[in-house]
Amino acid sequence: MNTNIGIFAAEYYLPPKKKALSDIFRDEEMPAEPLAASVDFKKDIGIEAVHVAGDETAASLAINAAKRAIAHSGIDPQEIDFIIDFTSIPEDYVAPTWSAAGLVQREVGATRAFATAINTGGCASYQTTLKVACSLLSANERYQTALLIAGDKTPEFNHNYYPITVVSDGGSAVILKKNVERRRILGVEVATLGRLHDIWVIPGIHNRDPKDIGGKFPKWLHVCGDIARFNKELIPMNLFMFRKVMLGVLKQVGKKFEDVSYFIYPTFSAWDLKAFCEAFKVPKEKIFLDGLHHGHLQETDMVLDYVDAINAGRIKDGDLVMLTTNGAGFSWGATLVQH
Amino acid sequence: MKEPVGILSAVCHLPAHQRTVKDLFQEEGIGLSDEVASRLGIQQVPIRNGETASNMAVAAAREALQKAGVNPAQVDVIIEYSILPQEYLVPVWNMSNKVQAEVGAGKSFVVGFSGNGASNFLVALNCGVALLQENENLKTALLVTGDVTIPGNRVLNPADPVTVLGDAASAVVLRRGASGSVVMDTELSSEGANHDICYIPGGSLVHPDDLGLYRLELDKARYDAFPRVATLQKVSRTLLDRSGLQLDDVASVVSPNISAEDHQQLQPIFGGKIAGVCASNRETHGHLQGSDFVLNYLSLMESGSVCPGDYVLAASHGMGAMAGASLIRC
Repeated sequence: MNTNIGIFAAEYYLPPKKKALSDIFRDEEMPAEPLAASVDFKKDIGIEAVHVAGDETAASLAINAAKRAIAHSGIDPQEIDFIIDFTSIPEDYVAPTWSAAGLVQREVGATRAFATAINTGGCASYQTTLKVACSLLSANERYQTALLIAGDKTPEFNHNYYPITVVSDGGSAVILKKNVERRRILGVEVATLGRLHDIWVIPGIHNRDPKDIGGKFPKWLHVCGDIARFNKELIPMNLFMFRKVMLGVLKQVGKKFEDVSYFIYPTFSAWDLKAFCEAFKVPKEKIFLDGLHHGHLQETDMVLDYVDAINAGRIKDGDLVMLTTNGAGFSWGATLVQH
Repeated sequence: MKEPVGILSAVCHLPAHQRTVKDLFQEEGIGLSDEVASRLGIQQVPIRNGETASNMAVAAAREALQKAGVNPAQVDVIIEYSILPQEYLVPVWNMSNKVQAEVGAGKSFVVGFSGNGASNFLVALNCGVALLQENENLKTALLVTGDVTIPGNRVLNPADPVTVLGDAASAVVLRRGASGSVVMDTELSSEGANHDICYIPGGSLVHPDDLGLYRLELDKARYDAFPRVATLQKVSRTLLDRSGLQLDDVASVVSPNISAEDHQQLQPIFGGKIAGVCASNRETHGHLQGSDFVLNYLSLMESGSVCPGDYVLAASHGMGAMAGASLIRC
């Protein structure tokens, strides 16, 4: 694969309105099943508030992020060859029939582009999308510029993703370009465990139980997690799969774990971050921890934390950066970016 | 020079049960005039008998792998191209993960695509080729779909019917370096303003709880106004120009089985080369989303009307949102 494809610009958009963690726990149901890890979900999560979109649509979150990325990059939208929407939760209309990619194309004026969406990977959809986008750019001489976008808006009463995290609303956008010298994507590794496909689902209007309508805890479009299987089948595999994709991408590009200067990891919770750092002996100064104050932003975590880490001066020229995450499906992904 | 990616096998999994269009119109309370029947050119469609979309996709995937002689453990990537809603809401869930588990493709990862009408198959084909060509450790791809129509929603746009939807699954196995039919190139073009010409309004964020809106809707006025024939012609010409070919060099064209009217509108831009099997499959199966391409490609190969070395063009206007064309050398 062409290794001169780089992250030319990356931006995110967060709706200004916020909701405190205590209000989320007040307003939303908490499953009774205990969490396998020896932590107190409410006390130890490390997130104090999340952003809520209110009247803004999921697509508008992506559009705002896309406009920021285009403005930041200085490119003409007509340079964009393709757009890929990598949103990982339900959008304004039903997928896979619809995606926000076409609407974003119209709103940013990317008239030359084709627009599609990748609908797998959950929070790791960014890695899957990077792999596909880099392959498309590399395989086709005519493609020079790609715009990747995501916009996530959870239903008003579904910010509690017990036993994983509490989620925020927001959008992100990344512009990839060929023949760049900085922020080059050296490799992407993705792995999926298909047998875990039904641990984390949203039933959909066609198979939803009418008794879930209304009441104290309205459940339209809410995620349903099988906590028992989560504890028994996912948790034991999680770190093994992280190791697999990280070592996989390092092998792809001939690097070692010790060569990695900085890690971008999702902000699910304080205890999850701690477990990752302990398992892979990552010191605190080599991983971005500040994202917890935004809450978890699905696949956008990868973009937001990366942007904030750069802006905070944590990532420097010459650094080899590992972006790694997992997501529903279940998927794991790891990307190496050479600064 | 990049190593070519070839089609090792293609399979359609169709429910055995069929319903006539006349019955379906009656069931959905729509009058079927002779004029509409003639315009549609569809006699019957396959309808599932309790199977889920993903179970049909698993069956198609297994059959395609067996036909290709590929051990599921050799599959490096599974690429899903469905258009209609699945058992659970996409993108949180996608049938490709279930397919991975059920067929035993333990080392693969999965990718699914949304939002392109029947052109979703061409998007999957394009990305499948790119993934295999550009990643040394990826050699074999399994493309798969299963599409099941929403109950009571088989006639698209009842006020002025555009097509009749059947249920189907299909699968294609691609391999880098395979001989036989080779995927040469793909051209794709979107019109963002048409993102909501064909969509399902109910059951997602904008209309979360309105079951009455949970159906595939077509904005017929905008569908008719969009220059889909000219757009598809432009996309096809761009593709052929890039390959140094002309329409005369193409032996046959396969396109989705939307209606007789649609085929008639498209025939002139392809010099009458839309394969006859498209019309016969349309009559007996209706529109099967992306599986139309696989069904028509298989019928074309079995018909003996194309020879090794012939070029086949697969082209779709994607209901206005995404026009696409792929060039295959048999």
